Amino acid sequence: MDRRTLLKGLAGAGSLAATGGLSMPALSQGAAARTLRFVPQANLANFDPIWGTQYVVRNAAALVWDTLYGIDDALQPQRQMVESEEVSDDGLVWTFRLRPGLKFHDGEPVLSKDVVASIARWSARDPMGQMIKAIQNELVAVDDRTFRWALKQPYPKMLLALAKNNAPCSFIMPERIAQTDPFKQITEYVGSGPMKFAKSEWVPGAKAVFEKFADYVPRQEKASWLAGGKQMLVDRIEWVVIPDPATAAAALQNGEVDWWENPIPDLVPVLKKNRNISVDIADPLGNIGVFRMNHLHPPFNDVRARRAVLAALNQEDYMRALVGDDESLWKPLPSFFTPGTPLYTEQGGDILKGKRDIAAAKKLLAESGYAGQPITCLVAQDQPITKAQGDVTAELLKSLGMNLDFVATDWGTVGSRRAVKTPPGQGGWHMFHTWHSGADCLNPAAYTGIRANGDKAWWGWPTIPAVEKEVVAWFDAKTLDEEKAAIGRLNAAAFEDVIYAPTGFFLSYTAWRKNVSGIVKGPLPFFWGVSKTA
Amino acid sequence: MLSYILRRILATLPVMAIVALFVFSLLHLAPGDPAVVIAGDQASPADVERIRQSLGLDRPFLVQFGSWLWGILHFDLGTSIFTSLPVTALIAQRIEPTLSLMVITLLLTIVVAVPLGVVAAWKAGSWIDRTIMAFAVFGFSLPVFVVGYVLAYVFALELEWLPVQGYTPLAQGVWPWLKNLILPSIALGCVYIALIARITRAAMLEVLQQDYVRTARAKGLGQGSILFVHALKNAAVPVVTVIGIGIALLIGGAVVTESVFAIPGLGRLTIDAILRRDYPVIQGIVLLFSFVYVLVNLMIDLVYTLIDPRIRY
Repeated sequence: MDRRTLLKGLAGAGSLAATGGLSMPALSQGAAARTLRFVPQANLANFDPIWGTQYVVRNAAALVWDTLYGIDDALQPQRQMVESEEVSDDGLVWTFRLRPGLKFHDGEPVLSKDVVASIARWSARDPMGQMIKAIQNELVAVDDRTFRWALKQPYPKMLLALAKNNAPCSFIMPERIAQTDPFKQITEYVGSGPMKFAKSEWVPGAKAVFEKFADYVPRQEKASWLAGGKQMLVDRIEWVVIPDPATAAAALQNGEVDWWENPIPDLVPVLKKNRNISVDIADPLGNIGVFRMNHLHPPFNDVRARRAVLAALNQEDYMRALVGDDESLWKPLPSFFTPGTPLYTEQGGDILKGKRDIAAAKKLLAESGYAGQPITCLVAQDQPITKAQGDVTAELLKSLGMNLDFVATDWGTVGSRRAVKTPPGQGGWHMFHTWHSGADCLNPAAYTGIRANGDKAWWGWPTIPAVEKEVVAWFDAKTLDEEKAAIGRLNAAAFEDVIYAPTGFFLSYTAWRKNVSGIVKGPLPFFWGVSKTA
Repeated sequence: MLSYILRRILATLPVMAIVALFVFSLLHLAPGDPAVVIAGDQASPADVERIRQSLGLDRPFLVQFGSWLWGILHFDLGTSIFTSLPVTALIAQRIEPTLSLMVITLLLTIVVAVPLGVVAAWKAGSWIDRTIMAFAVFGFSLPVFVVGYVLAYVFALELEWLPVQGYTPLAQGVWPWLKNLILPSIALGCVYIALIARITRAAMLEVLQQDYVRTARAKGLGQGSILFVHALKNAAVPVVTVIGIGIALLIGGAVVTESVFAIPGLGRLTIDAILRRDYPVIQGIVLLFSFVYVLVNLMIDLVYTLIDPRIRY
């Protein structure tokens, strides 16, 4: 019996016991209903959402720091800290006015100078921020509540840049903190968001605590993702880091925690059987599975080799390895963009549709000049998603007659080795696996994986001028139709040259105790509107 | 004796420095880059390089090691790359849970294993002996995480007597503290109970065949007195040695146990730090563990002199 089977068996037995009518109260049911105990997807190891861009940091930061705008569940930017904005007729000068009464957790008012310093730090690190900074004339505080951002050329996606939920978000910090070098970590966690960070209770790797900020003034609109009135209905939120999924499942069943952000698919069936637990899809925007090939070195510097792999790739194999037999958790993805969103397109994606033709793929591979050299495939074994994908890729490459050099390692190693540009035999690589959050793949704004500008592109360094041309066209688009057209052409160009291989679209679950209500689906856990009864 | 203790403690310093250099070299030779982990997937190579520079990771290896060593000489273990918190503070946060787990496990081990070993030796060859040894083999063979999951299932999920995970500081009361430690201590203790029971049995068997035991029996001493006063004391040297080694091994066992029961101890800190390549934290922990190993060995040597007057330093 392997460890995974054992976990399922034990967790399953626990669930059966719970559904079997054991009426003894859980030990922790006497705990204060005003404290919500949450198991995050990962450890909150640092807490500077500009310096480090891990999702878990962004998720925690959304409690502590507010943003000028927030993206809503219709994927539209809405005002958040901003009361109003004006843009000049030529689109070059943006003037923003802050809402009155905004305060930081240290009691100081939020002023324009704080916003200016925060935007400056954010724009040094964020891809969209960098684009705006590159065309910036000035970014200045006009008065305490007004600031102006003047540009050399129009930037139609300004509000999206300030509202987006992709890390790093444009969180607003006090000026003294925001003046920290963007490549150095801040050590003071003062924001103006609905919760305060209890630094004295922080045990990195184990626990992070947030307390309600009494002076927070929510907007009047209904909350919608990062937009609207962020009404906190609990006084305290404890993030309990539980690295072992079976332990997290048991803690949820036992009532020791209230909400588990992302249960692994293996354990979901047993959680669903527990009458005290609700399980639902966490984020309708889901995730896109990825394996990237290195465009710099043979054989994948030849588009025929990349196409050969894509022609043989069966997304169902990948998805079943990732999510098991749950059909509702995945779908084929002949696209680079998130299904169900306005810009989704399958234009050019035929290569991923229909019956897989291994013989044709082998022929294409031979035409590329591949002569049996080892293919260095980096696989992070410590991440279930990358491990599952790596195993499928290994079989795929073998079926194509490729000579596999399967490098089973950890994510830290993959992360650093994928940055090496030298040939695979000299420390470089041919392919690695990862996944993109669907929220990052709505459009090119924060989608690093879709860029194809050579040395500046993401790992694998594709150079595809046709893709870059359409990225620019999307940024310049003024209507949704123009955006759709640009994205359609971009998708086709990306498939034509095989920028990377999408392995499918998959969803994740989230699970919570039934005495908790108000949890909404979204790309990150939203705590406003969430309440708990004893 | 005092000069011996001082000499032993002073002798640890070069050992710890060599261990630190070894670990430091190993970490820097191994692939993996904390800057990449920090930067996240959205970062550009230029961003990663800037972070590396800001963390001083672009400095030559010897400069980094020298800087760390200089800090050590000033009682400064450095700052965590990820949390920006002092390594000493991180270790201080985590030391109580690990120490508590080890103490409870050790007590449990001694209280259960030594009498079991003594009884097995006393009843050597009988069904009692065979049963105890069978349990010992069983306990020794089961991985800590398997025992942990079974205990959690039975006592936390089924019976709801004890919590599944977490740690409550001793300052919040003895029972809340103990409640979180019972299951992990049993899980971690199983291997050591088995090991020490077997060693105790073997040592006792040897001692029970000695002339002085026969003499004690001939004098009409009670079985308890023979076993626990005369024989056990003379069988104690190998048992103490194994208990000492067990303390060192417990550190390794704690890594798994702390993960299974989500105890925020040094074991989990170590794993987290290794996966993220948080060099200063790893170095600090290695240094601490090296010191503990040396101290445990020293204490074993000192205990020898107490239980066997023939041993002198």
